[in-house]
Amino acid sequence: MPLEIEVEGLRKTFGRREVLKGLSFSLERGGFLSIFGPNGAGKTTTLRVLATLLTAGAGMVRVAGHDVRDDPMPVRRAIGFISHDPMLYLDLTAQENLRFYADMYGVGDREARITELLERLELSHRRHDVVRTYSKGMRQRLAIARAILHRPRVLLLDEPHSGLDPRAIDILDGLLTEIRDEHTFVMVTHNIAKGLEWGTRLMIVENGRIADEPAAGVDPESFSAVYRERVQEGAVL
Amino acid sequence: MAILRKDLIRELRTREMLISMILFVLLAMVIFHYAFTVKEGADLTYFTGGMLWVTFIFAMLLGLNRSFAQEKDERCLDGLLLCPVDRVTIFFAKTAGNLIFLLIIQAVAVPVFTLFFVERSYVGDLLPFLVVLLLADVGICALGTLLATISMNTRSRDLLLPIIFLPLIVPVLIAATGATTLIFAEGAGFGGLLARVLFLLGFDVVFIAAAYGTYDFAIGE
Amino acid sequence: MKQLVSAPALFVEAGICLIAGLLLAFLYAPIDVSSMGFSQKIFYYHAPIAETALVAFGIAFVAAIAYLRTQDLKWDRLGLVCVRLGLLFSLLVMITGMIWGKAAWGVWWAWEPRLTTFLLVCFLYIAYLVLRSVVEEEQRRATYAAVFAIIAFIDVPMTFFATRFLPEGLHPVVISAGGSGMEGSMLVSFLISMLGMTLLLVALIRRDLAVEDLKDRVADLKNTIGG
Repeated sequence: MPLEIEVEGLRKTFGRREVLKGLSFSLERGGFLSIFGPNGAGKTTTLRVLATLLTAGAGMVRVAGHDVRDDPMPVRRAIGFISHDPMLYLDLTAQENLRFYADMYGVGDREARITELLERLELSHRRHDVVRTYSKGMRQRLAIARAILHRPRVLLLDEPHSGLDPRAIDILDGLLTEIRDEHTFVMVTHNIAKGLEWGTRLMIVENGRIADEPAAGVDPESFSAVYRERVQEGAVL
Repeated sequence: MAILRKDLIRELRTREMLISMILFVLLAMVIFHYAFTVKEGADLTYFTGGMLWVTFIFAMLLGLNRSFAQEKDERCLDGLLLCPVDRVTIFFAKTAGNLIFLLIIQAVAVPVFTLFFVERSYVGDLLPFLVVLLLADVGICALGTLLATISMNTRSRDLLLPIIFLPLIVPVLIAATGATTLIFAEGAGFGGLLARVLFLLGFDVVFIAAAYGTYDFAIGE
Repeated sequence: MKQLVSAPALFVEAGICLIAGLLLAFLYAPIDVSSMGFSQKIFYYHAPIAETALVAFGIAFVAAIAYLRTQDLKWDRLGLVCVRLGLLFSLLVMITGMIWGKAAWGVWWAWEPRLTTFLLVCFLYIAYLVLRSVVEEEQRRATYAAVFAIIAFIDVPMTFFATRFLPEGLHPVVISAGGSGMEGSMLVSFLISMLGMTLLLVALIRRDLAVEDLKDRVADLKNTIGG
């Protein structure tokens, strides 16, 4: 299986604080990596480096076969990013938002694709409404549409289930199931159940380092035990 | 360009920025009248260029803050940065958007200003006037967009922008007010204005080049 | 040779040059026969200070480009030090300029090209410092400061050009600069002062860099102790 994500010796410093202290991991194509860890451990930072939103201080990071620092454009085309901020323009309609991103990514069958996604996410009836009028769940759904509009191979998810009502969670899960094949995922989450349900690879990050990589398929209790053991709450940073 | 269209649609829909800026500009003119005509029948002819450009520059400061505030909301800037587009393209699109807004405001403000303050008819010099206007606008928008990109990411973003923008824009101010006042007060063709027009052109070229080279850094991270 | 370039030695050399320049200015160079008389002597300090300030900003400009290319924070530190010193020198330019103005023309202030350009330069680089103060994160602060330093330095000649040449149509520049074309004795004094000032700048840069380095080390120590 070819490697879709390769990270070696990833370091990142913010000011005086070293947030990532030499992370190394890889993910084969089609894999699903769930990243757990306490706040401030560096999980989101790692994800943002993968997304080309941050530049690494040191280390090698390759996504979809391209180095994120030297060759970011193909990486951007290949990834979709879903975080708790929907990255949507509130004063534009759903259709206008999606059209904008479709144009930015050069999506060929723009109208068809937009219609298809709006239907899948059950937002068609509101496509001409301004996003400001959407509920949080709806905004998150639209954000998902935004993220997969350009058919990216890799999806980066930053706590996607947080703040969603059960219906939205169902839709999200349904969508993830549909596109599970042919896609590679990296998900940062606090939701242990979801993380374990989806993950083929698991990773606990603490204080800028990989604390443990439990085997996939472990049950939630054992995992929680391992987690508590590895992660010392209140450690001196 | 998609970004440009997006910004225009957004602004036309809400009209927040345009209306505030237009109101500001008109109010400023009224205030100028009261501020400067302390002496009965004071002649403001040689102040006209100055009043006009001071107003536009301060209005632009308001506008710039807003234009980037929307990107900061909802983390849209990240959304933009994730797209496979050159950072410099974002710069040009934003600058063009700001330029269009500025031109719209000027289209309203200049006639009103002429009505209030300018006695001579300068229809004969309209072309030079418009050229000066456009060149100065480009300089203001390009420099302003670059600086707003930086300031929006800092702690006190609205407060910072005037401090870093105003000293830099002084040369443009000097050239533009000189030219405009000449046109309003005495009338001048391209000949008399040549030095200033060339200066503005040079300024624009140099600073757009500088922005081109540095924008990647300004918007990153 | 290294002895001559070390920090304390530099100060001494600078001092010697400056004092020599001063002596020469007062004793050797002739009194200016044009309008300004004895007060013209301040020119021997005023102009070198001005040029040195610009040199400092120029170094900051180069350092800024170097930082953007290498992302190495030592360039950022150099830039900061140079801007601060440049600012200091600029203030001195204005003060000496005002003293000269008072002595020669009887007014403390005149809106003439060089004074106003330096006034703007002061505001410009104070803005640089303000910009630095509102960004907390080191790398980002260095990046923004570098971008600004580049733009600012390009703006300086623009400003000078605009203030000197553009107002012509409406009100000609009344006060022109002090005599260009200097005869031998004046030239020598002037050049020695120039050299002295530049050496002083270099000495100050080194000292400030060392101070900044010390500050960093203290901060690091504090962090490891847990302060």
